Amino acid sequence: MNSDFHYYATYCAAQLAGYTHEESLDIAYSDRFVDLCSKTMLSKLKAPSAAATTQLPLEMMDIRTDVVGLQLITRIWSSFHFLPYDLHAEPPKRCSKRYKNKYRLICGPNGELLKETVKLAKGNSLQAVGLAMHVLADTWAHRYFAGTPSLVINNTNRYFYELFPSENGYTEKKITFRHSATSPDDLDKSIYTASLISNSENSIMNLGHGRAGHLPDYSFIRYKYLPAWGNYEEIIKDNPSDYTHAFYQMVYAMKFLRGMYDSFETETYDTEVDENIREEVNRIINIRKLNLSDEWKALGEKLSGCEIEAFDVDKYRSEYLDADKNSKDNTFLGKFILSALAQKSMVTNKIYNSGNKLAGYSIDYEDKGFKGIRAFKSLVKEDEA
Amino acid sequence: MSYFQRIKSVFSGVFMILFALLLLFAPKQSYPLIAIIVSMLVFVYGFKLLIYYFRMARYMVGGKAALCQAIIILDAALFISTMVFMGDLFIMIYLLGIYAFTGFVDILRAIESMSMKSKNWKLKFFTGLLSVLFAVTLVIVGAINGNLEIVVYGFCFSLFYSAAVRIATAFKRTAIVYIQ
Repeated sequence: MNSDFHYYATYCAAQLAGYTHEESLDIAYSDRFVDLCSKTMLSKLKAPSAAATTQLPLEMMDIRTDVVGLQLITRIWSSFHFLPYDLHAEPPKRCSKRYKNKYRLICGPNGELLKETVKLAKGNSLQAVGLAMHVLADTWAHRYFAGTPSLVINNTNRYFYELFPSENGYTEKKITFRHSATSPDDLDKSIYTASLISNSENSIMNLGHGRAGHLPDYSFIRYKYLPAWGNYEEIIKDNPSDYTHAFYQMVYAMKFLRGMYDSFETETYDTEVDENIREEVNRIINIRKLNLSDEWKALGEKLSGCEIEAFDVDKYRSEYLDADKNSKDNTFLGKFILSALAQKSMVTNKIYNSGNKLAGYSIDYEDKGFKGIRAFKSLVKEDEA
Repeated sequence: MSYFQRIKSVFSGVFMILFALLLLFAPKQSYPLIAIIVSMLVFVYGFKLLIYYFRMARYMVGGKAALCQAIIILDAALFISTMVFMGDLFIMIYLLGIYAFTGFVDILRAIESMSMKSKNWKLKFFTGLLSVLFAVTLVIVGAINGNLEIVVYGFCFSLFYSAAVRIATAFKRTAIVYIQ
């Protein structure tokens, strides 16, 4: 998903869920920050690198794809951007354990882990709410791809067609991919940027939806393709439908987090939004444009009657840097870091307990005490407090 | 990492260091050994690809390409193993060939990236060019001095580096703590 949805649309959803303007801004900021909190940024903040929620392209180029490197990558991308749908899923054909482990990390909406993610944010900071909304929204946008480097799961081939609604259903247009990090996608010619093909199973080129470019990140697009894991059965990805579901599920989830519902159920979406707003949301989602920030911003300002400030990555930087060691966890970024560690710890634990070691090892503190990466000690302190 | 993976990582690192030391102390006798090792590595790689096809790639759309790749690499391993009996010069040519070929592939990848308007082609192009230049320099130095030992030293250096990385990785804290 793009920054427009992860910031402005989240603000709109928070407003509809009943949060104040300031609270909605904090939630939207935290949602957007998930895509920016890299090891490099954390090192500038002198914060624990274990809290990274994303990786920069250069960080990924540097990382070794040995066991430890792959686990690090999988922890980040599965926990925050490609939440697995079913950790016990059975592939359609009998296959090896190694294949099964990768197959089970395929992302999808309405899984058990989503429930756990939303529950983890309950009673927690606004930063935790924003982070959970990021994960929730990405389960819709990034479905059918896995947050681990894998050729056999994430690869795509030349069979890729954009679908345009017409009188007789849909017309098709072949999609062309190129590898250009700087050139914008050409919507008129259906030319999109994607990662280079790599025949190596664990190549970073085969992480997530890299091989499908940014197509999953655009709300307006519909396309069909053959996923590597799909046994030659084409998938039609209807982003407008998925993004609409994501939006109303966010509203519902945030209403739950505000205490308006007793439990959070999957496959449930907010139904109380005014019809005029629904029409506006639908209109924005279907606009064929690379960045819909202005449109979402206008809707957000209409909902709250307040101006939504532009996202500033350094907004809370000095607050964190200037705080003394004992009060860092109480700063905006400190709370975000704690939420990120908690989410990563929870997802890794669930993956590990399903018998899958692709995200690494998880040690239950209650059973075995503190062992492992030191940065997670702050979660123990928070728990004790 | 599991305990077994850590132990395996340390042992393989130590083994690599010992082997590199052996080559350093007896470089003249080491050429056939290098050829055996390289052919074995290529063979293992090809065999692993074959296993990869049967365990993973055969379930994938277009996965048969992995099978073809495995067969070609196994064939290359057989070819390399025949070099053990061909003497120092051939092994030297082979090692230089690997350097040059790797560099050439890097340059091709860089050109491919450049043609796709990627900005990341420069580093790849530079390292590729360096590899090719290194191979050419070794040929010239070898031809002028009649001394082929420098290739062995280069090989030892890469072994030391890989060993150090493996051992360091084995002692890294990697587990994630979960608090209910």
